[in-house]
Amino acid sequence: MRNDDRLGVGTDNSVELRLPLVIGAIVLIFGIFVLRLFQLQILQGEEMKGIAHGNAVRLVRLEAPRGDILDREGRVLATTRPAFGVTVMPSELARPDRTLAALGMLIDQSSAELSQRIGSPQGRRRFQPVRLVGDLSYDHLARVESHLYELPGVHTDVRPRRHYVEGELAAHLLGQIGEVRKDQLQKRQYADYRAGEVVGQSGLEKVLERNLRGRAGGRNVVVDVAGRVVDVIGEIDPEPGAPVTLTIDLDLQRVAEAGFQPDVLGGRAKMGAAVALDPRNGDVLVLVSKPAFDPNSFPGGMDAETWKALTTDEWRPLQNRALSGQYPPGSTYKVILAAAGLQKGIVDPNEKVFCPGHFRLGRRVYRCWRRGGHGEVDLRDALKRSCDVYFYKLGLALGIDEIAKFSRGFHLGRRLGIPLREEMPGLVPTREWKERRFGEVWLKGETVSASIGQGFDLVTPLQLAVAYAAIANGGIVLQPRFVLQRTDPELGVVEASNPKILGQVPVDPEHLARIRDALTAVVEEPRGTGGRSRVPGVKVAGKTGTAQVVALKHTEDQEDDEIPIRYRDHAWFVAFAPAEAAEIVVVVLVEHGGHGGSAAAPIAQKILSKYFEKQRARAGEELAAVQVGSDAENR
Amino acid sequence: MLRIDRRSVQHFDWMLITLTVMLVVIGFINLLSSTHALGELSNEARRQLISLGLGTIVMIVTATIDYRHFERFALPVYGASLLLLGLTLVIAPMTRGSQSWILEGRLQPAELAKVGMILALSRYFARNPPGEIQALRDLIRPALIIGGPVGLILLQRDMGVALLTLLIGCTYLGFVHIPWRAWLAVAVLGVATLATAWFFMFQPYQRNRILDLIDPGRDPLASGYQVNQSIIAIGSGGLFGKGWMEGTQTQLRFLPTQHTDFAFSVLAEEWGFFGSVLVLGVYLSFLIWGLIVARSSKDGFGAMLAIGVVGIFFWPAVLNVGMVLGLAPVIGVPLPFIAYGGSALVASLIAVGLLLNVSIRRYVF
Repeated sequence: MRNDDRLGVGTDNSVELRLPLVIGAIVLIFGIFVLRLFQLQILQGEEMKGIAHGNAVRLVRLEAPRGDILDREGRVLATTRPAFGVTVMPSELARPDRTLAALGMLIDQSSAELSQRIGSPQGRRRFQPVRLVGDLSYDHLARVESHLYELPGVHTDVRPRRHYVEGELAAHLLGQIGEVRKDQLQKRQYADYRAGEVVGQSGLEKVLERNLRGRAGGRNVVVDVAGRVVDVIGEIDPEPGAPVTLTIDLDLQRVAEAGFQPDVLGGRAKMGAAVALDPRNGDVLVLVSKPAFDPNSFPGGMDAETWKALTTDEWRPLQNRALSGQYPPGSTYKVILAAAGLQKGIVDPNEKVFCPGHFRLGRRVYRCWRRGGHGEVDLRDALKRSCDVYFYKLGLALGIDEIAKFSRGFHLGRRLGIPLREEMPGLVPTREWKERRFGEVWLKGETVSASIGQGFDLVTPLQLAVAYAAIANGGIVLQPRFVLQRTDPELGVVEASNPKILGQVPVDPEHLARIRDALTAVVEEPRGTGGRSRVPGVKVAGKTGTAQVVALKHTEDQEDDEIPIRYRDHAWFVAFAPAEAAEIVVVVLVEHGGHGGSAAAPIAQKILSKYFEKQRARAGEELAAVQVGSDAENR
Repeated sequence: MLRIDRRSVQHFDWMLITLTVMLVVIGFINLLSSTHALGELSNEARRQLISLGLGTIVMIVTATIDYRHFERFALPVYGASLLLLGLTLVIAPMTRGSQSWILEGRLQPAELAKVGMILALSRYFARNPPGEIQALRDLIRPALIIGGPVGLILLQRDMGVALLTLLIGCTYLGFVHIPWRAWLAVAVLGVATLATAWFFMFQPYQRNRILDLIDPGRDPLASGYQVNQSIIAIGSGGLFGKGWMEGTQTQLRFLPTQHTDFAFSVLAEEWGFFGSVLVLGVYLSFLIWGLIVARSSKDGFGAMLAIGVVGIFFWPAVLNVGMVLGLAPVIGVPLPFIAYGGSALVASLIAVGLLLNVSIRRYVF
């Protein structure tokens, strides 16, 4: 064709030949477009202008009610109820001052505040409704409704509103909802959300957002130039979110929450956390964190004062202590040392150690909590009576790195990987960790402190529950789970799958059995430290713990009542029952509560006895059912 | 490699640059209106400007490297784009029912895959000139080249982009010499495929959209709503339009996804028949100029590359303008240059860079 063809093939003439045809086709298509534009804009232009300017069809979004959150027996923890609201269309406010003054009188709010909420929108914003009040009482609604025609630009509407039936109960676990934030809207995860839409912001409300959300519907309305609805053409109902069934047991949760109430009328409410889980499958039956908050105050926009009070409170009511509170484990840590000692063969369970009430290492003296000492104790006695000196010696024999290795084996010092993101990892110190963290070598004395859970170690109540569940169930470390059944928008109903096993503790079953036996003695035998958690008819195993908040020397001269609250010890109690075939593990932490045996054990006792009371009732029902059945057969 | 020949400067393609600049400017002015919020520069506009800067740099680089090097690297580039698509399937999160964005929504690998595909196709057709292709079996390899990305995009559940990619690949069919009986066979096969897709692959909403095309008033609330509002917007523009930022359909947000899929409706509402025809005219000139570049190219690869680039712009324009005018089903295919979208703008500018590359070297050898 043109010049020569160096590649041999080069431009063949097909391009040249077909070009007119292809160009013709493209021009033809664009010609059709121009004709269509001519039809719409010139021939039908006036008509279309009429539609656009006069009546126009507008899609009004109908919010979907959020799915209910149920406890394991189907009782409602969170639901959705209708809430009446007042909105204002700025473009329709003829005389804003008079209208707002009148409206303010009707709903008992200052007109200045109302007009501040509207601001002075310009441009397109004038055509967007502003929601002035989110949750109006019936009285106020009736007043506004009866004056609606004298209030141009004011509209009432009904929207679903989240209602937490039990108020503060399990507030941290359920979480909060709130309007989707501006920074969230930028993320792809929230791509199909619109400004103003309500979304789970923390806790399970956030984790289960996809399941609870439902699908918004729409109403096609004809509006006039002023934006008033003239006609409703069609409507698609919103699809409500599906319910989610949690592993939580409302009865047990109530008992646990009540346990943190003041002991005496007008007394101080207790702070801390409680966790109960099923050591056979990881189902979390109870999760309490105190102080708590009322999640009902969130969805409608909480007032600034309440919010400030919550966020600046010294005791941090928004923190979920059960997952993200990190505390020294105190004596509850001794089971880890016992397990390590048995497994390593360092401990002969029958060998007795003499406890004079103190232990000397170099020039320092470490005291046993019992000043008079425990006398001759073996491993079982040492756990039962929580002898410190026995474990000082055992800890030194093991060394800190060995202790750390076994702690990790019980999944301490690591996140459990639950979907609640606020979970904290805790801390298991090693020599290397201290070098890295402080640039200092590990001191032997620190091993002594660590042996009774009083060193650098930190655990969360949930972690401790998982570690004790492993002791109770024969060594399996389970990931706690919170959801029994949910409905996935794409997959349909999803049942909780098999328990997720995080690992196996590096301890032989017979050693775990020995520890279980000693822990049973803690509760069931005289002189055990956990006697206050006994449940009639059930063998309970447990362990007390007392975590010092400040060094003993600051407080030793004072009586318990004289110590400022913030310096008082944290009280731990961990229990599981029935001791040899555990169905429930309970961890209770009372912040600044004093001794584990006296402050925390009674709360654990209440949870356990409620659990077994329910079990007995259920067994009774079954028995009755069986009897009825056999009676029928006999007849 | 980067040495710039004096002749390519002398024969610089001012026409192509002018047309491109016009489209980019029109698109940006339109974006300002469709996303305008209280006079300030919207986030979208700011991001579009950043993409424009980035795209311009990439375009210059693409135009500077002699395209004959691209021929050598055509297959590796194609392979890499397939890998990226495959990777997207693994790492991309599911958003709005499809799984096609990576890097937190900044990159849509399908955009790059189109370029990779036309490089590979150009290489094939440069060695097997379309004019010499007379039998369907000669199209098996190009069909495989097209099938790779289309299949992967289908797996991402992005039907619109998959269809678009398929059509871009089919651009070359306009130049092969195959008897009509063979085309009949292809047509039958196509209908069969469509029928299968209709019953087994389309989601209910996709079927609805096609039914809506046949009868737009069918369900004014759901998918028909968008097209209805678009037609009202366009029609109400009249001869000269309502003026920039004055479109009531746009500013009152009756128009759905007005800065992306329905950007042309905004333009038609605010600039009227006059403005829309002008923009279509610029677009048409751009496409025809691309074909002229193809004809004037000295070698087969250059010609085929230019044809591929024309396909990259022709098909989305047809699908998008057809959609907003109520002539084609609602497939979320944005109009290149006019619609908001950083990834798409950069990809478009890369394609312009390829065309420019072929154009300025038409006298080099």
